[in-house]
Amino acid sequence: MTTVTKQAMDVFVEETGGWVASQLEACTRCGMCAEACHFYQSSGNPEYAPVWKIELLRRAYEQRFTLVGKVKTLLGVNKRVTDEDLEHWSKLNYYACTVCNKCSMVCPMGIDLGSLLHEVRAGMAAAGLVPADLMAAVNKQLQEGSPLGMTEDVWDQRMEWVADEWEVDIPRDVKGADTMVVFSSIEVMKFPTNIAAIAKVLNTAGEKWTISSKAREVVNFGFYEGNVEHTKLFINRILEGARELGVKRIVVTECGHAYDALRWHAANWIPEANDFEVIHITGVLGELVESGRIKLKPGFFDGKGTITFHDACKIQRKGGHINEPREILKIIAPNAFKEMSPNREQSVCCGGGGGVIAIKDADPIRYDAFKLKIDQVNAVGAETVTMTCSNCRLQFTDCVDHFKLDWKITGLAQMVADALEE
Amino acid sequence: MTWTDVLTFARGPLFQASLLIFIAGMIYRLVRVIFLGWSPDKVKNKGSKAGGVVMAYLKSFLIWPFIPWVKNTFKKNPLIYIAGGIFHLGLFVVLVLGTAHMLVWKSLLGFGWSTLPLPIVDWMAAVTICAMVVLFINRLINPVLKLISGPAEWLNLLFVFLPMITGYILTHHLFFRYEVSYSIHMLCVDFLLIWIPFSRISHFIFYFFSKTIHGEEFGKRGVKA
Repeated sequence: MTTVTKQAMDVFVEETGGWVASQLEACTRCGMCAEACHFYQSSGNPEYAPVWKIELLRRAYEQRFTLVGKVKTLLGVNKRVTDEDLEHWSKLNYYACTVCNKCSMVCPMGIDLGSLLHEVRAGMAAAGLVPADLMAAVNKQLQEGSPLGMTEDVWDQRMEWVADEWEVDIPRDVKGADTMVVFSSIEVMKFPTNIAAIAKVLNTAGEKWTISSKAREVVNFGFYEGNVEHTKLFINRILEGARELGVKRIVVTECGHAYDALRWHAANWIPEANDFEVIHITGVLGELVESGRIKLKPGFFDGKGTITFHDACKIQRKGGHINEPREILKIIAPNAFKEMSPNREQSVCCGGGGGVIAIKDADPIRYDAFKLKIDQVNAVGAETVTMTCSNCRLQFTDCVDHFKLDWKITGLAQMVADALEE
Repeated sequence: MTWTDVLTFARGPLFQASLLIFIAGMIYRLVRVIFLGWSPDKVKNKGSKAGGVVMAYLKSFLIWPFIPWVKNTFKKNPLIYIAGGIFHLGLFVVLVLGTAHMLVWKSLLGFGWSTLPLPIVDWMAAVTICAMVVLFINRLINPVLKLISGPAEWLNLLFVFLPMITGYILTHHLFFRYEVSYSIHMLCVDFLLIWIPFSRISHFIFYFFSKTIHGEEFGKRGVKA
């Protein structure tokens, strides 16, 4: 076994506790997971079946842990894992998976394939088999604080510019504030109106909030990479900022994977993460509307064409903020808003998450997967699509350009800011 | 050696040995997985983990399977959903609600229970056998299943099919005389019992791990599992 293969296999074995093993044992090879995977559905390539993506993890488990596996090794009938296998499976796991977890919902055994895929990525990361584009982004985030060229200076300038251009107050490094808001570099660099929108909403609500020059970036490319050390490093930058300012709560703005990492995993890597409440901006918007701290103009978006909502995998299906967008849209677009099908926790992934949009070689696969969304949006006759994740927004805007569609793409926070009663 | 001897052996000492291997094997599988270690979940819940678990079980084999159109799995692949469901339901009806097998349970546990009339159980068995044929054909032609199926998958199908078909032949007194039919059925059953701990048929136990984990993962996020 070469060093590369050994490094990956060792990680697979190391990561295999009862949680991983019991689920690998539960799989009956029924193939239902493939039916849920948008990459398989759009391409027909059976290798994109989620059960196949985690095959190397299963082989490592069978060969190292099980009686049957050990006997097969003795008899020499085992399929040994090779470097070529790992390179091949690296593509399957990074190019053709957004970790959307729809497979987990459809598995009759309830196997959490998304998490198992993260384990595979951990092995790939240890073996140095992460796609070059993705690794470049990780390194940028390690060195500059962000994968999108948002150095401390650039962040500084952008925030000043947004505050100036849109005439909003963006409190910075306020000690003793209640809430620390951490934006994603996708918003800062590509959708700066989102920053202004969120600032406007929080100011109108009278929220005691701040941004932090230590905690500048909420996006977590270590999480996409599958490298726990990098993931923790990026999370710690956020926690340090929160600690320094003495805030009680951290708000993740419109980014999905960042929320998954910080809200639903961080405490298991860094117990101190539990010192803070972590919430997504979608949840905050919901709270502010429900409590009456902000008021929305009813029907503000009616009469401008059908609007539909795209559920972001890590904010709705795996984040739990499913009702808030609907409550808000019922107020601001009671007639214009039409649901796509399927929706809510059963929704179809945009195809750009999980790091896929950062990998140039994955573009054809990504565009193929988006065809499923095109069908969905067209079926409901929508002209505007809104969402709560800026990575989805990146994918939608890129695909609107690629496929020459005439949709308007926006975000929920933007719509709330526009429909605000001041 | 007559067929009566074979039958006495197959339903007597061999059956008991097979049961022992089945139980010991399953315990070994369970213990080996449980002792791999479990880390506590320190993440704060939003919704209820327990609630998620209850819903997961209700939806997966207690109530929802009988109203399949509400499930996304059904919409994607209704034929396989129904074939798989009928197969499992049929196994349950034949093995637990059929008098012939209830009497076996009674001899093992010391108590029995009311069962369904033979025509119903028999009809269910026939439908189950058809479902297995459908699943077999599906595994032959579906591109994903062709990729992920190895010798183990084909053998599993065969070793579960044999007791079903030989049981049916025995019940209907087809082709062979009683001692022969019964012996063959018992040999198939004994073999299956020994095979289960070494195969993926053991999923019936690991199901409880993955379903509970699933219910917790979605319950804690406040999402319908």
